Amino acid sequence: MPEHQGSRRALSQRQAALILLLPFMAVYGLFLVYPFFKGVWISLHDWNLMAVAFNPDAKTYVGLRNYERVMWGRDITWGALANPGFQIVGFLGMVASYLLYRSGRAGRVTALAMGIAALLLFVLPGFHPDAGGRWFDRRFWPTVGNTILFVGLAVPGVTVTAMLLAAALDGETRAKAVLRTLFFLSQVLSVTVVTLIWQIMFSPRQGLIANLTELFGGSPVVWLTAEGFAMAAIVIATIWWSLGIAMILFLAGLQDISKDLYEAGALDNATGAKAFWHITLPNLKRTITVVVVLQIILHFQVFGQSHLMTNGGPNDTTQVLVRYIYQTAFRDSELGRASAMAVFLFVIMGAFSILQFVLGRETEE
Amino acid sequence: MNRSYYWLILALSIPAFLWLVPTIWMVSLSFQPNDVLARTTSTTALGLIPIPFTPDNYIALFRFGQVPMWFLNSLIVSAGMTLAVLAVSTTAGYALARLDFPFKGPIIVLCLMGLMVPEQAVFIPLYTMFADWGWHNSHHALILPRVAVPIGVFLMMQFFKAIPKDIEEAARIDGVGWLQIFWHVMLPLARPAMMTLAILTFLYAWNDYLWPLVSAQQREFFTITLGLASIQSNFAQAEGLGRVMASGVIASLPVVVLFLVFQRYVVRAMTAGGTKG
Repeated sequence: MPEHQGSRRALSQRQAALILLLPFMAVYGLFLVYPFFKGVWISLHDWNLMAVAFNPDAKTYVGLRNYERVMWGRDITWGALANPGFQIVGFLGMVASYLLYRSGRAGRVTALAMGIAALLLFVLPGFHPDAGGRWFDRRFWPTVGNTILFVGLAVPGVTVTAMLLAAALDGETRAKAVLRTLFFLSQVLSVTVVTLIWQIMFSPRQGLIANLTELFGGSPVVWLTAEGFAMAAIVIATIWWSLGIAMILFLAGLQDISKDLYEAGALDNATGAKAFWHITLPNLKRTITVVVVLQIILHFQVFGQSHLMTNGGPNDTTQVLVRYIYQTAFRDSELGRASAMAVFLFVIMGAFSILQFVLGRETEE
Repeated sequence: MNRSYYWLILALSIPAFLWLVPTIWMVSLSFQPNDVLARTTSTTALGLIPIPFTPDNYIALFRFGQVPMWFLNSLIVSAGMTLAVLAVSTTAGYALARLDFPFKGPIIVLCLMGLMVPEQAVFIPLYTMFADWGWHNSHHALILPRVAVPIGVFLMMQFFKAIPKDIEEAARIDGVGWLQIFWHVMLPLARPAMMTLAILTFLYAWNDYLWPLVSAQQREFFTITLGLASIQSNFAQAEGLGRVMASGVIASLPVVVLFLVFQRYVVRAMTAGGTKG
């Protein structure tokens, strides 16, 4: 037990707070706050990794030129149907978020966030170079597009699967607990183990999937190097990997739904799928939003799956933003341009983090 | 518990088994001879049962090659990071939750903003800083950047906030100093929260890929996660499929054991880490 030494040399509350806070604040300032601002500073320079390493003065201040070189081009114009795929999705998204808000199916924050995301999806892909113009960096926007496509496939995949599993596995029986464990297990593996497993699963010569197709008399698909299949392959591996957390969040959300609702529903003959549609789904709205936002943040930062399974290929179709940043910085030594892209990534992630924070606050209240 | 319940369990066992197949396959391949795997991977039951069986891949792994060294590096980095995160998070979390001092509000907001910064937004400047200091290819270079992530501080802060004030006040009346209260009263109470944070940090450290890839360029400083990435690109030719799969099993073993033993904590840790950071 502590001795009575307060009288000898009592620290005031302020002094105690200072001593307790100092270690963290020092590490935080040095390895997070300072690097963040240094990153912004690097993005304003023409900064070659090798040149600056040998001679610290070999960098030149270029203002916002790096951002221009990454994101802009010569003779850029805007058209409502320049990139129909994304723009139609964006337009429908805007209509949908308005209708969801009007009909009361989505809250104000959710509808607003969805609307803004959809608006950006409608406006941004509309920019394109005129007949005589070109992008300064041909690969940047397609890379962003691939990342959004990856998020757009992985997030609904994970969310729907996890929600159905959670609804089926909600309950205190031992068998359900074992099944939950089995579905969660892959979540603790590292990205390199996941890519190792799936790279060989998808291998056309040695893969389990190829073996299965041959067993049924089909010819194996060259998954990881075939355009169209490569993205599907990394999405499948990602869903397999990251289902667990979403499932657990849904299970927690299900605990909050009162059992009375189901009993009342049972009187109206609403059981099974009917009960899921009319009782579970409306009451899980908040959880669904939280899971979706969380998954967007998580999967926008995808790197390992693309880097290890497909090398960004074939033909750049699985090149994603973080991998492009990594390559620009450490293969091309263009730290300035890479940092400009990293700031772009931060702005997007930051927006979703604020949204997540606001939503978290609303849930607690 | 009626008929439909058993049908549900039976129906769900099939997808659960399919979900497990990739993992079973990795384990099974790791116990098969490399010369057989070079010809076919579907010997018995599509290769899901390791017949012909051999433990040679594991023996070779520990005799030659760098897997044991990478494993040791991972242990050092993960344990070091866990201890460091626990130390700075419990102290700062307690101060922010229970002590009164000037600029407390702004400091909390400053820490909160750190949660918005993804690793990918700072890894380039961190690389240049560590390069200037000659820190790359060391254990502390792999540990320190993650210690600065404020998620642990927030987990501990929320925990300490929930502890009733009278415990502290009773000790104050007895004339016990703040640091003693922290050490002798608060820390013992915080064991469950510290356990959650420790598991969250350990899992993150063990599985981290991007920062080790950037910072550790000499193979002697690879973590097992990074080392596994470096041998999987040419798995079929160089080392033999069975041996690469054995490395994958070894790399997964600590986290899978951790998960099976501390399942409740792991699930809590991963959801806390997921929703807040």
